[in-house]
Amino acid sequence: MDRLRNPWGKPRFLAVITIFYIFWSVVPVLLAVMFAFNNGRSRTTWQGFSFRWFTGPTGSVLHDPALQGALKHTLLLAGFCVLIATPIGVALALGLQRWRGRGSGTVNTVMLLPLVTPEIVMGVALLLLFLRVFPGIGLGTEAQVIGQVTFTLSYVVVIVRGRLVSIGPEFEEAAADLGAPPRDRMFRVLLPLLAPAIVAAAAVTFATSIDDFVVTQYLSSDASTTTVSMLLYSSARGAPTPALNAIATVGLVITLLTLTLAFLVYRRFASGQDAAAVATMEV
Amino acid sequence: MSGEIQLEELTKKFDEHVAVDGISLDMPAGEFFTLLGPSGCGKTTTLRMVAGFERPTSGRILLDGKDVARTPPHQRNVNTVFQSYALFPHLDVSKNIAFGLKYLRLDKEERNRRVREALELVNLSEFANRKADQLSGGQQQRVALARALVLRPQVLLLDEPLGALDAKLRKSLQVELKGLQAELGITFVFVTHDQEEALTMSDRIAVMNNGHVEQAASPRDIYEAPDTVFVADFLGVSNLLSAEAVGPDGSGCTVRIGDRTFRCQQGALDARGEVRVMIRPERIGIESRSDGASGEERMPGMVERSVFLGGLHEVHVRVLGGELLKATVANDGKPLPFALESGTAVNVHLPPDALRVLKMSEEPQASDAEPAEEETIENVSA
Repeated sequence: MDRLRNPWGKPRFLAVITIFYIFWSVVPVLLAVMFAFNNGRSRTTWQGFSFRWFTGPTGSVLHDPALQGALKHTLLLAGFCVLIATPIGVALALGLQRWRGRGSGTVNTVMLLPLVTPEIVMGVALLLLFLRVFPGIGLGTEAQVIGQVTFTLSYVVVIVRGRLVSIGPEFEEAAADLGAPPRDRMFRVLLPLLAPAIVAAAAVTFATSIDDFVVTQYLSSDASTTTVSMLLYSSARGAPTPALNAIATVGLVITLLTLTLAFLVYRRFASGQDAAAVATMEV
Repeated sequence: MSGEIQLEELTKKFDEHVAVDGISLDMPAGEFFTLLGPSGCGKTTTLRMVAGFERPTSGRILLDGKDVARTPPHQRNVNTVFQSYALFPHLDVSKNIAFGLKYLRLDKEERNRRVREALELVNLSEFANRKADQLSGGQQQRVALARALVLRPQVLLLDEPLGALDAKLRKSLQVELKGLQAELGITFVFVTHDQEEALTMSDRIAVMNNGHVEQAASPRDIYEAPDTVFVADFLGVSNLLSAEAVGPDGSGCTVRIGDRTFRCQQGALDARGEVRVMIRPERIGIESRSDGASGEERMPGMVERSVFLGGLHEVHVRVLGGELLKATVANDGKPLPFALESGTAVNVHLPPDALRVLKMSEEPQASDAEPAEEETIENVSA
């Protein structure tokens, strides 16, 4: 047997592990999505295919006010989060990249902290912040946006800096050499080169915001600030219907579309510039 | 004519590391000036200071008599061709070339005309709308050149622009570049570690080592009359023999190599004591030992290796005293007068007018004068 094996072939056990992993991680998601289309109230017994939990007259995503509200609020938070975190993150990345003086190392580490801090710690800390330090802001939409921006900012900085490193200082030097003042080096050269990374960062921010539960939950005030993830969590033990699967499916589709779009944009515009950088956003 | 550069006591330190150590150079207007040296010798740092990317620690950079050492790069009338070309990947060829024209405040008509001319100059008219990454290395190099020349700078700086190209393309671009420079009459400052490239193209070469200029002269003088052991060793093949200078001899100098005495008529003839004596392989004569006993100007030896190189034979001769001399014998189409196989006893002839006395350098030489491929770490490491 050993002698017959192709020595250049890929190790078979790796393929087995990979296939097993893919099944393990995808099948539950597919099952959840499947029951979104169940023609019955059960989330475990298949009763035929239908769109009733998406568009039906009662209890569907389209007609249930609670589900509707949660979906709208989720998208609202994600939108604000992208609009605020992306520009600030890009500016921070540029600043950190150029800052070579004392303290830059510390700031770099601090920038990465939100990525490794347990979200629950972050959530509790932010809750205390808004209750005790800035009671003027209070809990609710503003607090949720600020909270989400706080940690999605790190993603933006990491993605944009990765791109900055791969771009290197040479294009800016070339622009300066050709007579471009600092402002033009930024707008005629650096930002166009960064565009794919900025789009990718915005998409990751959007997707992260939609998925977020802990921080958003801690900083919510009332029913009007409930997001899809919060709704899923709270009603999972109450009276669950496949409508929950339906709204989760909507969230999943939005997230996937956003990431796919970002990936395509990135690949389209970064083509030939740096293939390795594409990998940063696939993470 | 404008485009003259003078460097005065130019120094650049990166923290404790001195990359460029107080060099002074005159680069006359309209010349092809080459900074030549091994990796880490400070040539690229020097060029970057002239371009304005690095701020000198001290010293002056005079461009047509005006000190520009503190002028930011976008306000200097010098342009650079980068080693990696640094073509903007988000712009096509003609937009790359037009990039700097915006700052010359030309009208649209003139701008387009200049771009067209620049494209013609480098024979890339049909590639105007290609993206940079759709061009070959040689074409990218031309775009980089056109992008810089379209601004009609007084000085063009070239940082190893041929380094990334294959040998054949390199040769043809060397000739092209030199022709272009002669045609445009602007000053070219060219950085390279390739001595052959430097000899081929330059009007004047400055050989750099450890942040110093070892010698600045015409290619011929650099090759024929090197001032230092480093220069002799870095350019071409040199035989360097340890010797002791013992005294004057008419217009020359007498040196003792091993137990033999030779007359030298080149180099530091006033030196006394320990020196190096240099001779180029093509100046060494090889004679059959049977022609007679080894006499004046001659040294006995044994052929160790003989390599046929087409146009010439390279012969390695181990001489009395143990040193290995490289000599070349031109191939004139006739068979050699005597066999040059290894083991043949020969005399090497070292004529006085080919022997050059070099003083020992005061500082330790770089242990390895072989040019390295990359120069990227020059700025951070010694």
